Amino acid sequence: MGKKKKDRKTRLAIIGTVGLPAKYGGFETLTEHLVKNLDREYDITVYCSSKKYEKSKREKYYLNARLKYLPFDANGMQSIFYDSLSIIKSLFYADVLLVLGVAGSWLLPFVKKFTNKKIIISIDGIEWKRAKWNFLAKIYLFWAENMAVRYSHIDISDNESIQDYTAMRYGSLSRIIEYGGDHTLKVKPNQKDKLEFTFLSRPYAFKVCRIEPENNVHEVLEAFSRLPKYLLVIVGNWNNSEYGAEIRKKYEVFANIILLDPIYNQRKLDLLRGNAFIYIHGHSAGGTNPSLVEAMYLGLPIVAYGVSYNKTTTENKAFYFKDNNDLKLLIENSTVAELKAMGNEMESIALRRYSWPIIAEKYKGLVEESLTMKSKHSILSKTNQIDSQKLIDMDLGHLKHQQSFFEKR
Amino acid sequence: MDTNIAFYVIPVISLVFALILVPIFRRLAILLSLVDKPNARKVHTNAVPLIGGIVVVFAAGLALLFTVDFWGNVKENYSLIFGSLILLIVGVVDDKIDVRASFKFIIQIALAYFVFDSGIRIDSMYGVFGIYELPILIQYGLTMVVIVGVVNAFNLMDGIDGLAAGLAIVGLSAFTYVAFLTGNSFLIILYLALIGALIGFLRFNLFSKKKIFMGDAGSLVLGYVLVVSGIVLIQSAQPTENITLALAVVVGVLVLPVADSLRVYRKRIKTGYSPFRADKTHLHHLALYLGIKHKWASFLIIMFSIIIVSISVFFGSVFSMTYTILALLLIFLIFSTILGINREINIWREKIKKLEDF
Repeated sequence: MGKKKKDRKTRLAIIGTVGLPAKYGGFETLTEHLVKNLDREYDITVYCSSKKYEKSKREKYYLNARLKYLPFDANGMQSIFYDSLSIIKSLFYADVLLVLGVAGSWLLPFVKKFTNKKIIISIDGIEWKRAKWNFLAKIYLFWAENMAVRYSHIDISDNESIQDYTAMRYGSLSRIIEYGGDHTLKVKPNQKDKLEFTFLSRPYAFKVCRIEPENNVHEVLEAFSRLPKYLLVIVGNWNNSEYGAEIRKKYEVFANIILLDPIYNQRKLDLLRGNAFIYIHGHSAGGTNPSLVEAMYLGLPIVAYGVSYNKTTTENKAFYFKDNNDLKLLIENSTVAELKAMGNEMESIALRRYSWPIIAEKYKGLVEESLTMKSKHSILSKTNQIDSQKLIDMDLGHLKHQQSFFEKR
Repeated sequence: MDTNIAFYVIPVISLVFALILVPIFRRLAILLSLVDKPNARKVHTNAVPLIGGIVVVFAAGLALLFTVDFWGNVKENYSLIFGSLILLIVGVVDDKIDVRASFKFIIQIALAYFVFDSGIRIDSMYGVFGIYELPILIQYGLTMVVIVGVVNAFNLMDGIDGLAAGLAIVGLSAFTYVAFLTGNSFLIILYLALIGALIGFLRFNLFSKKKIFMGDAGSLVLGYVLVVSGIVLIQSAQPTENITLALAVVVGVLVLPVADSLRVYRKRIKTGYSPFRADKTHLHHLALYLGIKHKWASFLIIMFSIIIVSISVFFGSVFSMTYTILALLLIFLIFSTILGINREINIWREKIKKLEDF
């Protein structure tokens, strides 16, 4: 067995993304850059959804990674089947399974017990808490996350606060790996661009996101509706929900607020954010958000919603708001020099932490480590498993109250 | 009264008695301080009279005194009547001064023996798990365990407004139907009288500013009536083709409280505590984490009970009772697991709020 392994490259299956080439979210971009950076070291297979890639566009390979198509959607309810089938198929050849998302993790206890495949799982924020899921989906995701962390060899959190959460709930020491931002283009506007988007010649605040209450779009709009001198541009899917339609109707009448429909052309989107004066980040959902990392890489001054996830991503050096009053005051009271300096700070953080070669290197480290691992160790002390009364009887009651790393940060 | 007319009249009479008795007992209860004071485990905030049990037993009992079927069958059913009265007294004393759990336990065991001795016993498994006629020692043990187990399980269901009474009404109604089929007119009027009295109780428990509670007195007696008369129903249906239905109904009615108490005991033992340590993990506590009012949580669980009984009857008539019981346990497991995870989600959502530092 050992000898055979030396002869060939380690086989890595990447499971749980829509597929390559990346057109969709954070996990797909991550997969693309893992392939770009690691495809000579590892024999990589990526599972793709044939629902999202037409027959004519399906490739056998992307760079040196093998692509395999499955007839399910990678998101929503179908992701359970999609991830499960991917995991089962990968068992026939892979050494290491890199599973992105928890939908298929009900299988992991069996995989861990009956095979010697190594499982690395990224739980993707605190998914069960998100407003977009219905009651039963939340129940499933909460349980599936438990399976994912308990029955993987290594679990990945994309943010320090998520690491605290997995330590508290599971006693697991999650590895933190964020996302890269350096695929974002720094586009200078040309004459045609300036004609298409006339606001490019003025300083403007910019925000791009899904139009959901979780992203605090309403707070941002309310703040700028009371800041007539400051221009705001928001790109998003306004017509997807009642919430979106409602706030669009309410705020599009303001002269300083420009609401644009989704932009799928990468150059155009990068043009708009790259040339913004300030970037507003309203995400409140758990984890490091790829769009924030990308804005940081562009060197934009950032005003972010004040949850711990955003604070750790920006190393507590950006500006943070809690509601529209906060945001209004921040915009009114910050100086250009201050913002410029903060933008530079953001860029240097991004260059240091959020570049794909660095991220890929971290993943490589985990793959290598997983190959030598038998099982996961709990970071909780052994006394945690002993009944309080027994400890008290032995005059050792204090051992119940040892502090863990996440309580001291 | 003529038997058939009695069936219609008796629930009305007991309902009226209940409505009359509540204000009287209420005043007495406040005088004697037979009230439930709020504590950390209780979900209410004012002292509430614990007279539901006494009212239900008195109202139903008074109504029964007017019927021929009652007087004609007292002798054969003495263990049911006598046991109920003993438990009522024990329950009232417990509501007043909190007697030791071990004392209540001994009383229940003694009553279970008394019931067994009177000829009401589980003498066969009727093919469940492939077992039929049981040896006498096992009959004895099983009857005791089932009676004590159900009485306690039903006692534990009395945690939020309307739940124990609602579950009892569902159970007694289903039992009434079986009693009709087996022609046991004593049980029919007993059930109908109790149903009428319970409706009277619910009027005050759910819809009045002058709220009252069932108390241990009520839940112990109702649990006792359900399990003992349930065994009687099965025994009397044994020689007939009604046995399958009788089994399915009795199992369907009793499986919810029993499965929930076993779930709670197991969990407590697993976490290293006594199985009888009071906590907030019963089905109704879990249901409250859905963010609904107590009434609606009761309604949800009562609906679930109706579904369980219906599935039991349907499955029982199509498949064997063994598979039916397994199916019911599986359904209960899924239901309680979903509610349990929902509770965890609520708890972790609060913890994460701190983490998010917002």
